Amino acid sequence: MQLTISDVFKRFGSIEALRGVNFDAEPGEFFALLGPSGAGKTTLLRIIAGIEQADRGRVLLDGRDVADIPVRARDTAMVFQTFALYPHLSTFENLAYPLREARIGSNEVKKRVGEIAEMLRLSHALSRKPGTLSGGEQQRCAIGRALIRRPRLLLLDEPLTNLDAKLRHDTRAEFKRLHRELRDTTIIYATPDQLEALSMGRRIGVLREGRIVQIGAPQRLYTEPLDEFVASLVGDPPINLIAATLADVGGNRTLQLPFVDIDAAPWEATLSQYPSGARFMVGVRPQAIAPAADAGEAAPGPEFPARVFLTEPLGDVTILNIVAGADQRLKMVLPQERAYGIAKDASFDCTLRNDEICLFAQETGMAIRRNWASPTT
Amino acid sequence: MSKNRTHVIGKSGWRRTLGAAVVSAIYFFPVYYILMTAFKTRPDALAMPIKFLFTPTMDNFYSVFVRADIQGGGGTDSGFSHYFFNSLFIGGTSVTLALIMGTAAAYGFSRFPLRGNDTYLFIILTTRMLPPIIAIIPIFVLFRVFGLSGSYTGIIALYTAFNLPFSIWMAKSFFDDLDRDIEDAARMDGSSEWRVFRKICLPQVYGGLAATFVFAVILTWNEFLFALMLTGTETRTVPVAIARTIGGQVGVDWGLMSAIETLFIIPVVLVTFVLQNQLLRGVTFGTIRK
Ligand SMILES: Nc1ncnc2c1ncn2[C@@H]1O[C@H](COP(=O)(O)OP(=O)(O)OP(=O)(O)O)[C@@H](O)[C@H]1O
Ligand SMILES: [Mg+2]
Repeated sequence: MQLTISDVFKRFGSIEALRGVNFDAEPGEFFALLGPSGAGKTTLLRIIAGIEQADRGRVLLDGRDVADIPVRARDTAMVFQTFALYPHLSTFENLAYPLREARIGSNEVKKRVGEIAEMLRLSHALSRKPGTLSGGEQQRCAIGRALIRRPRLLLLDEPLTNLDAKLRHDTRAEFKRLHRELRDTTIIYATPDQLEALSMGRRIGVLREGRIVQIGAPQRLYTEPLDEFVASLVGDPPINLIAATLADVGGNRTLQLPFVDIDAAPWEATLSQYPSGARFMVGVRPQAIAPAADAGEAAPGPEFPARVFLTEPLGDVTILNIVAGADQRLKMVLPQERAYGIAKDASFDCTLRNDEICLFAQETGMAIRRNWASPTT
Repeated sequence: MSKNRTHVIGKSGWRRTLGAAVVSAIYFFPVYYILMTAFKTRPDALAMPIKFLFTPTMDNFYSVFVRADIQGGGGTDSGFSHYFFNSLFIGGTSVTLALIMGTAAAYGFSRFPLRGNDTYLFIILTTRMLPPIIAIIPIFVLFRVFGLSGSYTGIIALYTAFNLPFSIWMAKSFFDDLDRDIEDAARMDGSSEWRVFRKICLPQVYGGLAATFVFAVILTWNEFLFALMLTGTETRTVPVAIARTIGGQVGVDWGLMSAIETLFIIPVVLVTFVLQNQLLRGVTFGTIRK
């Protein structure tokens, strides 16, 4: 189903939950809505579902205004953040409810509930009430109830938050598989977790305080965030943001970080409008910092001395918290085998991979384009 | 949910259980005393100190329904079977009516609030703030004017009105506690507003409504003042009939009184027993994750 959101506003008393949201989702698209708590994700999904009224703006399903389509004909299902299972009905009846309301015969109901329970590994719990299910089972029951009608638009509101790490991983894969199977079902997936958004969304819309600040493919958000907010939301561990000043060093425009200078040439097309002394924030991904010894000849960036003050081994990689220069704290990531033997207070030289650095104007937080940046998102 | 329940009820230590038993025994003693007296002969009932061992007799129960003739011979119907019927019929009908109307009103107040919703609710409650002894005067006049005195319609209408505020307030609090997302989910699943109420909201508050039903039944069942003033021989309820028995010619017949009371307690015990699972649910209301 083709979904169009145009200029949607919603306020609750003095709180502006949504302030002009626009986006489209193509039929069959997996669209992730990424935003921190309170950004307005739930409000937006409820408006798309038609259970909340927008103050202004329109929601179109296949070109028709939701308000004009009766609930039954909308072909929209939602997994609520709170699951919203029917507490007085068994798991079976919870799954069957949408079918019963659609007056589907009981043999067909039995068959389809059986199938979906099988798929979501709920067969053992069909006779039990939701109150006796584990968090994960409740979540799967909620997902099953949404899927059973084979909706053409599926709204998922943080559907994985209640699962443990492993189940979350499995279910993420399950969603991707499901999405492949339900070919023309459009999925809108709201989450505050960048990993979920990046790993599942074909496109991601980043929601901040009721506005969409950037829409793009995962890779695009990662490498070319439009502002500091997106940059720090996407990527794990979060990007390092470092204050910098634009300066003229012997005729070369240079960005002076507290611990190193970097060449401003890659941004010169835009930076030319800024005078020397202008202040910026430089974003460096933890993955873009490496020990100088490893850099080899290829693209060596500027080097600087660093001292380790904390290590966080995660199994496959280790996060090093380092102090660069006098007192600039940074995070960097090393593969486990490379980090082996590096302990607190170890000192070594590091380099920045120049082509992975993002630049933001300090006042506005907006990204400064690289010379070669592609024109639009 | 169920895990908690067995724990709370079954697994406390011996000392606590014993303590609870002692307290319950103290509470239960008056009831036990009545039960005992109901099976005693007149001399046994009056014996001091209290006789705990005695030969039980059913005579008192017999005389509840049949009044012995002083001249001897058969005896006449005391009318008590009719009074029991009255109490059951009047109480049951009015509480059921009040609960149905109260639930509907409460759902309205909860889901489709009016301007000044709270004011309406407060006004509804004020009708219960008057002591019945004061309210009885205008009501008595009203009943006289409309010819309702001594009729079933009158007393049932009065008891319904009497139970309505309580039912509305209780039911509203149950509806207010429900998770609104669940209703929205049902709407998305294709339910009409009526089915949202009937299939989703109502079943979730059954427990609470059952508790409300029991409380209202007990209140109505025991109500004396209105019944005394507003019922006639045809519609007389048990509490009024008991009062009339006390003033017998031969002093208070404790055995007879206790037998009546024993019979009088039975329906309440039965209702509570039948609804006990619902009652438990009513008390542990709202245990599903919000
Ligand atoms: N019914 C309501 N009444 C008043 N304020 C509301 C209501 N619903 C949402 N809000 C407010 O609107 C803003 C957006 O809320 P929303 O639930 O959409 O956020 P969210 O992105 O889903 O957050 P979370 O990740 O915590 O679920 C919040 O500031 C919230 O307090
Ligand atoms: Mg939310």
